[in-house]
Amino acid sequence: MSENIKFTVNGNELEAKSGELLIEACENSGIHIPRFCWHKRLEPVGMCRMCLVEVETPRGKALVPSCTTEITEDLVVETESEVVTKAQEGILEFLLINHPLDCPVCDKAGECPLQDQTMAYGPGESRFVEEKRHFEKPISISEIILLDRERCILCARCTRFSDEISGDPLIEFIQRGNKTEVNTFPDEPFRSYFSGNTVQICPVGALTSTSYRFKARPWDLKKVSSTCNCCSVGCSIELNTSQNKMLRILGEDNEFTNQGWLSDKGRYNFDYLHSENRVLNILNKSEDSFNEISISEAMAKIKNKIDELDNPNVKFLLGSSSTNEEYFVINEIGNYLNKDKFLSRDSSNIYFGDDLLFEGYFGDQYSQAKLEDLDNSETIVVWAEDIKDNLPILYLRIKKAVKNGSKLIVFGHTNTSIAGLADFYFGADIVSNKFELIRNPNEIEDLKNNIEGKKVTVIAGKSTVFQKKESLDKLINFLNEKSELQVFNAFSKGNTFGALQNIDEVKGLNEFCNEFDTNAKNIVFTIGVNPVNSSFFGQKIKEKLIASDFVISLDLFVNETTELADLILPTTSLGEKEGTVTNMEMRVMKQNKILPAPGSTLSEWEYLTSILNVLGEDVNYKNENEINNYLSEKYINQEKLPTFDNLNKPSNLFGVINKKDININIKDLEEDNFSLLMVRRLYGDSSTQINSPSISMLGAHKFIELNSITAKKYGINSKVGNLIQGPNSILINIDINEYLPDDLVIAPINRRGFENIDPCLDFDITEAKNREELNVN
Amino acid sequence: MKETLLLTKHMRENPENSHLIDVYEKNNGYSAARKVFKENNPGDVIEEIKTSNIRGRGGAGFPTGVKWGFLAEDEERYLVINADESEPGTFKDRILLERDPHQLIEGIIVTSFASNISKAFIYIRGEYAKPARRVQDAVEQAYEKGYLGKNIFDSGKDLDVVVHLGAGAYICGEETALLNSLEGRRGEPRLKPPYFPAVKGLYNKPTLVNNVETISSVPWIINNSGKDYAKLGVEGSTGTRIFSLSGHVNTPGNFEIEMGCSFGEFIDNFGNGIKENKSVKAYIPGGASAPWFTGEQLDIKMTIDDVANAGSMLGSGAVVVMDEDTNLVLAAKSIVSFFAHESCGQCTPCREGTTWLEMILERIASGRGRTSDIDLLLDVCDNISPGLAWPPQMTTICPLGPSAVSPITSLMGSFREEVESLLPKKVLINNE
Amino acid sequence: MSWDSKLIDRAKEIIELYPQKRSALGPLLYLAQEKEGYIDDDSVVEISKLIGITEVQVRSVASFYTMYKQEPSGKYLLSVCKSISCEINNSKEVIDNIKEFTGLANNETDIESTFTFEEVECIGACGGAPAVQINYETVEGVTPTKALELCKYLKEEVPEVIVADELQDKFGGTKSFDWAIEDNSGTSSTAPGFQIIGTSEEK
Repeated sequence: MSENIKFTVNGNELEAKSGELLIEACENSGIHIPRFCWHKRLEPVGMCRMCLVEVETPRGKALVPSCTTEITEDLVVETESEVVTKAQEGILEFLLINHPLDCPVCDKAGECPLQDQTMAYGPGESRFVEEKRHFEKPISISEIILLDRERCILCARCTRFSDEISGDPLIEFIQRGNKTEVNTFPDEPFRSYFSGNTVQICPVGALTSTSYRFKARPWDLKKVSSTCNCCSVGCSIELNTSQNKMLRILGEDNEFTNQGWLSDKGRYNFDYLHSENRVLNILNKSEDSFNEISISEAMAKIKNKIDELDNPNVKFLLGSSSTNEEYFVINEIGNYLNKDKFLSRDSSNIYFGDDLLFEGYFGDQYSQAKLEDLDNSETIVVWAEDIKDNLPILYLRIKKAVKNGSKLIVFGHTNTSIAGLADFYFGADIVSNKFELIRNPNEIEDLKNNIEGKKVTVIAGKSTVFQKKESLDKLINFLNEKSELQVFNAFSKGNTFGALQNIDEVKGLNEFCNEFDTNAKNIVFTIGVNPVNSSFFGQKIKEKLIASDFVISLDLFVNETTELADLILPTTSLGEKEGTVTNMEMRVMKQNKILPAPGSTLSEWEYLTSILNVLGEDVNYKNENEINNYLSEKYINQEKLPTFDNLNKPSNLFGVINKKDININIKDLEEDNFSLLMVRRLYGDSSTQINSPSISMLGAHKFIELNSITAKKYGINSKVGNLIQGPNSILINIDINEYLPDDLVIAPINRRGFENIDPCLDFDITEAKNREELNVN
Repeated sequence: MKETLLLTKHMRENPENSHLIDVYEKNNGYSAARKVFKENNPGDVIEEIKTSNIRGRGGAGFPTGVKWGFLAEDEERYLVINADESEPGTFKDRILLERDPHQLIEGIIVTSFASNISKAFIYIRGEYAKPARRVQDAVEQAYEKGYLGKNIFDSGKDLDVVVHLGAGAYICGEETALLNSLEGRRGEPRLKPPYFPAVKGLYNKPTLVNNVETISSVPWIINNSGKDYAKLGVEGSTGTRIFSLSGHVNTPGNFEIEMGCSFGEFIDNFGNGIKENKSVKAYIPGGASAPWFTGEQLDIKMTIDDVANAGSMLGSGAVVVMDEDTNLVLAAKSIVSFFAHESCGQCTPCREGTTWLEMILERIASGRGRTSDIDLLLDVCDNISPGLAWPPQMTTICPLGPSAVSPITSLMGSFREEVESLLPKKVLINNE
Repeated sequence: MSWDSKLIDRAKEIIELYPQKRSALGPLLYLAQEKEGYIDDDSVVEISKLIGITEVQVRSVASFYTMYKQEPSGKYLLSVCKSISCEINNSKEVIDNIKEFTGLANNETDIESTFTFEEVECIGACGGAPAVQINYETVEGVTPTKALELCKYLKEEVPEVIVADELQDKFGGTKSFDWAIEDNSGTSSTAPGFQIIGTSEEK
């Protein structure tokens, strides 16, 4: 659409696309124009005035802000003239007159645009001799973010981000003129899933995080690029460490995935790496407690057990935090044990720990979507679990697409948080409380009119484990038939797609329970998964694990699942291992190592290889690179193999998209009757989160959601109540959500206190007798 | 010299009830509206305004007919009357709102017809409570008579008028800030480009923003002709204007004249000279944003172009006269202080610079100035308005910043000794 | 205190006047000002629900404008102009007198909540300098002496409705122009008297 046009800067002829912003065009040509308020991913506002340049106009030279000026044919620009230089000095002097001399105690020092630009473009001294303005400093604007209003230069990056990008405008400018400050509304803190991004883009030290405050100076930090594993968007991140401790994670600008942004979970959930609760040595269960043993002792024990148990069933329960290389080795050992070592078993022994995993829509008839397809879609359709909570950056990409004109159609009832953004929200009259599609998609006018013959991207997933696949099939097939459809399978956990690509056949937790033969000998591996806590099937799985003959857990912490193990083999985690991960676009990206493996931890593949060895299988991988070479060969597109070499090339730094056959063998649950809809929230009580003190408090909030009619049925008028089921009673906040249908009550599955709640049993809600408010929130 | 009454004719002829619709109609009121609906040619109306050469009466002086011609095509278009009169020294829109609201309403009807607009807002500053009540009453009277609402004057066209109160922000007189305020936002000026109101105005739709006095002039132009209007005044400043005169004159007030006489004549004739027979030390020709002229410059003519050529602006048509005993440093500080308080805070030079200027002037006025402060003041001004030129260049988003510079350049340009007298004397050492 | 259904109905009527809800934010803030004498947090919550923006966005707009008070104000808002025409016509003495009588500094309210005093910028009464406003009803040509009398009158008589014409007759002087029209309208709160927000009163 945009042709290249010529323009002149400081006498040099340059080229840019018509309509491009002058500041960006210069940046791309190597000419740096100083700025504070302009950010590549935000709408320009021309407020700081630092980017002023001189352009030729019919009426002579004029000073214009380059961030709001578009390139036009034959534009003549001066960025270093006397007038520009004086303006730059002037603006910096103005910014510094009220800016406190905090550098020695400010986090931002050393990576501070205000410092850098003052050195490069500023006057040598300030002539201000009056009193600077003062504010109480700093103030907490949320549990994890602090604001120092004296340092703030009122560039509005944080308020614009919260309004434009994340849709949580909980911070804004208060007052006007010289008295302007950024602030929140009392009792409405800056509780946004994306608040950490404002700390990263703040050009001064006004916004700081409790996680990183006073921890290090930027010149102390070692840095490496990697990929986040909190959800299956796989955001590009930069790991910052010092003295072998992970101190900070920043978002990197990957044009195709996160475009610089991170959720607060992806950004701050890493303290657990250094938690004192982390298992650092192999734990061996004897009687009811654990004692530490060496790796050789552990291997000996495993060999002996396998020999002792004649022809055992060996099963693997997998989590989503393993790398592709680790999944590859898991598949190898699974196959070996099933087909080579023991009586030939044709069915898979590998089960993935996500209740919402199902067959999905793969293969040649469904075109797999990329995140950029959202921007090109005329309509986006969502039927899945809560996107904002489980795929937060996907939510940001959807919001961006909607802002640029895409229509959004959302099916209820687990995506009420984006109902306000949607052009059409289909609630109770289209989706039943059991998540059945009760109207023929062909007869839903608003749906038909907006997808027929159009480019559509659908985000398809189960809203609850009880949902039958049939309704979703109806919808997807309708869309596939009538529109140019791209499909996202909304499996949200970490490296799910890495598991799907590298494991021959993946089954679910229900299959695990059903296929478990208590009469046989059973050995179970749990690898980075805690289903006893997080799965609907948790109680059943617990029984199976207790009934097993031997349980080996490869994990980081002692938790509800691993405490049932006979052996806990402590593994490495983010930043401690090298490997690749695959995101929901089938994009393979690199994870890099920057920390040494702590204590006696080993990577999952190292343990599994050792086990293969003691069982007599001669397999020896030198390193992750070698494993990666093996698994790369199996990709379909041979020109774009995700080898480490390839991924380290500058042209592939954002990852490569590639396909493999995917085989998911998961059936619908028989029962579909649930009384309480339990959903996953972004913050919860997983072991990593409860061992990350910076953000563990965010997962403490206990609540239920229901609409006002349902609340009335329970006789509730207050905002605080009790959820009662059998002997269990939990004090909860009651949030009225009018998008919910009548008689549907939502509760979190991954919050402390809810572990014993059974979604299938009856429950009651009563008003709280003593009106004490919950401490957190 | 006499006034030429166009805008203030009806209110002078019917002082006690010029605000009532019956009285207005008896005095030939709403005849322009009837005329345009009868002739039914919007293009002609715009042509008539162009021919009149009337220039905006808010302060910028942009040719109104040209502005109407810029309005982009769209089903949804708006007319917004800028009644946010807040420029210190100005009170001319106030008399039109208080005493002849129907003239404005008729102007709105004709303007809306010419530009195919069916929704108009009158944005009145919040402090003008009584004028707002008068206008609201008049609007309701017009609705009752079928001059506003559905099918007005049986034309098949609709026109809704909503009176909207401001809430105390001078910056909302700037047209894009006014639109932001009308949208329920902070009154922050928008960037032009791309937010030219004629293209992307209220709710991002094409919008005409015009001053009260400008639109109040429309009925006369239609009832008589653009040519007749252009015959009044002088070329480049046609028609009549209401000038607000205040300060140290004997008889302050609003006076409607054809432009072309000198400020001295105006002050003598209508202000009846200075109180206690003092002389003029300085005067502001066009509201607080305008650079000052000295008592030696009373012969400058009161036209837009003459004042511009002399290094100031006719602006909002507010003349403030300061006598020989006026403490000009305090006067300058009052004006700088005004702009510092009214700054919206978006852009760095205005937000920080105007307050800094206020602080320095405060120090100087209270005897704590330093010899370096004069150069400092001028350099800070230069960083807000590079070159200290006229018309001003700006490093800011809108002209409010450079407006704060006007009193300082005037003070230093013509009255430097007055400032220096407040600064510590340089101490000469023997060898110097 | 939250808004009763009558006030909410009033608010909804006002919202109907505008093509987009958010435009009604200005008038709704005046409703709050009239009700409480300032924009209290409860009103912000109500307004944010009615308009559909966050509370901090409401507060951001409210705090931008000087006529929306962020803190409780007294029964009578005394605004004295200090812009150029009034400044050179002795507004300082008027200000000093009022400050002494009320004991208040700029933007302060007395303990009895009778007066809030503020120095304001140009109120468009430059021909009648020095000029003041009581609850946004303009009184022009108020000399320092008359200013004291005006304050005394307010304190002792405690009029329910403030009518500009009445106060001008009693305490005013030179006017910017002939007011000409007899007018008994005014306001009974610190929100400007205006029909749409229901604050216009007659004496």
